[in-house]
Amino acid sequence: MTEAAPRTAPPPRREPTLVTAVGGWPSAFGLAIVALAVFCAIFAPLLAQADPQAQNLLARNRPPGAAAWLGTDHLGRDVFSRLVHGARVSLAVGFAGLLVALVLGAGLAGLAVAAGRWPRRAFTAFVDLLRALPGVLLALVLVVALGSGTVPVILATGISFLPMFAVVTASTYEREARAGYVRSALVLGAGRLRILFVHVLPNVLGALVTLSAIILPRVITLESVLSFFGLGVSPDTPSWGRMIADASRFAERAPHALAAPTLALVLTTLAMALLGDGLRRRFDPLRRSLAR
Amino acid sequence: MSASWPRLRDLGALLLRHAGFIVAISACVFVLVRVVPGDVVDFLGVQGDLDAAGQAKLRQELGLDRPLVLQFLDWGARALSGDFGRSLRFREPVVAMMARAAGATLQLAALSLAIGLVVGVALAVAATIWPRRWLDGLVDALNVWSIAIPTFCVGLGLILLFSIWLRWMPVLGNLPAAALVIGLDIAGQIVKPLREDLRETMAASHVRAARARGVPPARLVLRHVLPHSLSVLIALSGLILAGLIGGAVTVEVLFGLPGIGSLALDAIRGRDYPLVQAVVVVLAASILIVNALSQALLRLIDPREAPL
Repeated sequence: MTEAAPRTAPPPRREPTLVTAVGGWPSAFGLAIVALAVFCAIFAPLLAQADPQAQNLLARNRPPGAAAWLGTDHLGRDVFSRLVHGARVSLAVGFAGLLVALVLGAGLAGLAVAAGRWPRRAFTAFVDLLRALPGVLLALVLVVALGSGTVPVILATGISFLPMFAVVTASTYEREARAGYVRSALVLGAGRLRILFVHVLPNVLGALVTLSAIILPRVITLESVLSFFGLGVSPDTPSWGRMIADASRFAERAPHALAAPTLALVLTTLAMALLGDGLRRRFDPLRRSLAR
Repeated sequence: MSASWPRLRDLGALLLRHAGFIVAISACVFVLVRVVPGDVVDFLGVQGDLDAAGQAKLRQELGLDRPLVLQFLDWGARALSGDFGRSLRFREPVVAMMARAAGATLQLAALSLAIGLVVGVALAVAATIWPRRWLDGLVDALNVWSIAIPTFCVGLGLILLFSIWLRWMPVLGNLPAAALVIGLDIAGQIVKPLREDLRETMAASHVRAARARGVPPARLVLRHVLPHSLSVLIALSGLILAGLIGGAVTVEVLFGLPGIGSLALDAIRGRDYPLVQAVVVVLAASILIVNALSQALLRLIDPREAPL
C-alpha cells in the first residue's frame, strides 16, 4: 500500500462465488475449518473410535497409530475420540456463552438506553465496573462465585464478554435514536420498547453479528483457560481445555495428547477470527480490519 | 493559569469516580467470594483433621460468623491503611505474599512491555519510512495474530514446539519465553493503530513542508511524525495494561512463574478470601488508575481531545 494511492476505476464486477461471498480466501479457509469443527462436534459419536472416557491402563501414552489414530493419553483414553467429543463441549459452551453475552449485553443495554437517563447511567457504570477487571480475572471470580460446572462456566464467560456487546449496542442505539425514522415513530405514538425492538434492533443486528464472530473464539478460549485452571467444566466432560490440562502434566511421555487439543484450539480460534474478519469486511466495509 | 483550573476539577471528578469504582469492585468481590457454599474452613476440614467443634471455633476466630456488612466495613477500614489481613490458609499477611509475587509479575510485565513497544513501534515506523507492501502485510499479520490467536494458545504452542519437541528450553520458570508471548500480543495490539496514525500524520502540512525542505525519510518519520503519534500509545495504554494483566494470569500459570497471577489462581482454588479480595482489588485499582492517568495525560498534551 502506498501513501497516497491514486484513485483507480472500480474493478469489473465478477460473478459471486462462495469465496467472495464470505469475503475472500482467508475467510473461506476459516469457514472450511469451522465447518470441519462443527461437523466433528455434531457427528462425534459416529466419528469416535472408542468411548472417550474408557480407560485402558495397559495402553497408556501410546503414540499415534492404527489402533488409536491420535494415540492415547496418560490413562489410556483414545485422544481422537476425546478430541471430537471435546469439540462438542468446547463449541457448545462457546456458543452458549456467546448467546449469554449477546442477550444480556445487547438486551440490557437496549433496555437501559430506552428507559431514560438514570437507568442508562447506572448501566454504564455497571459496564465500566465489569471492564475494570481484565477478562480472565473477571471470569475467575465469577466461576468462584457460581461454582464450577458447565452452566456456571457458560454464565461466567458470557458475563465476561457482556461489556463489548453492551457498548456497541448502546452507541448504535444512541446514534439511531436521533435518526428521523425513530423520531417520526415517536411522533406517531410508538412506545419506547416498540421502537427498541421493532425499529432500532434490525439496524443494530449487523454490528452485533460481526461482533459475535469476533467474540466467539474468545469465549471458546476462555472456557479452555478456565478448564486448564481446573475451574471449568466437570472433569468427566472432555473439553479441549480439560484435555490440555490433563496432558500438560504428562507432556514428556505423551506430547501428542497435548498437541492434538492445542492444535484444535489454535486452528479453530484462528479460523473463526479469519471468518469473522471476512464477514465484517463483506458486510461492514467502512471498518476495514479487525477491530477490538 | 486560569485555563488549567477547570481541568484540575475534571481530574478530581475523574479520580472520585474511579475511587467509587474501586469501592464498588471491592464490595462486589467481597460478596461474590462469600456467597459460595464452602469456605476456607471447609477446605481445611477436607484437607486435614478439623472436627466440627474446631471448625466452628476457627470460624469465630476468623470472624466468618459475623454479618457480611460488618465484615466488609472492617476489611475496608484496614485496607485503607494498607492492611489486607492474613491469608486464611497460610496465616501470613496478604501484603507480604503479594509483595513477594509482585516481583515476578513486574519482571514479566516490564520485559513484555519492552518487547511489545520495541517490536510494535519499530515495525510501524519501518512501514512508514519504507512504504512497502510486505511491511504493511507484516503489520496486518501481527495485528491478526494478536487478535486471532490468544496468548494461552501461543504459550502452549511455544511450549510444545521448543520445550517438548525440540527440547531447546525448559518450561517452568521460563521468563523470556513468557514475556515473548505477551510482548508479541501487545505489539500486535499497538502496531496497527500506530501505523494508521503515522500514515495520517504523514499527510499533515508540517510533514509536507519538512519533506519539501529535503528532510530524509527516516529523519522525517522519527523527528516530525512519530512524536506527533505518541498520543496513540498513551490512548492505548489502558488496553495494553489490561492485556498485560489478563495475559499475565494465564501465562504465569502456563510457565509456572510465581507471580500475582499464580497467586490469584491458588487463592481462588483454596477459597482464600482475603487473598482473592486483595489481588482482585489491587489489579482493578491499578488498571483504573492507569486509565485515569492516560486520559488526563492525553487531555493535557492534546487539547483537541474531548474533556474528561
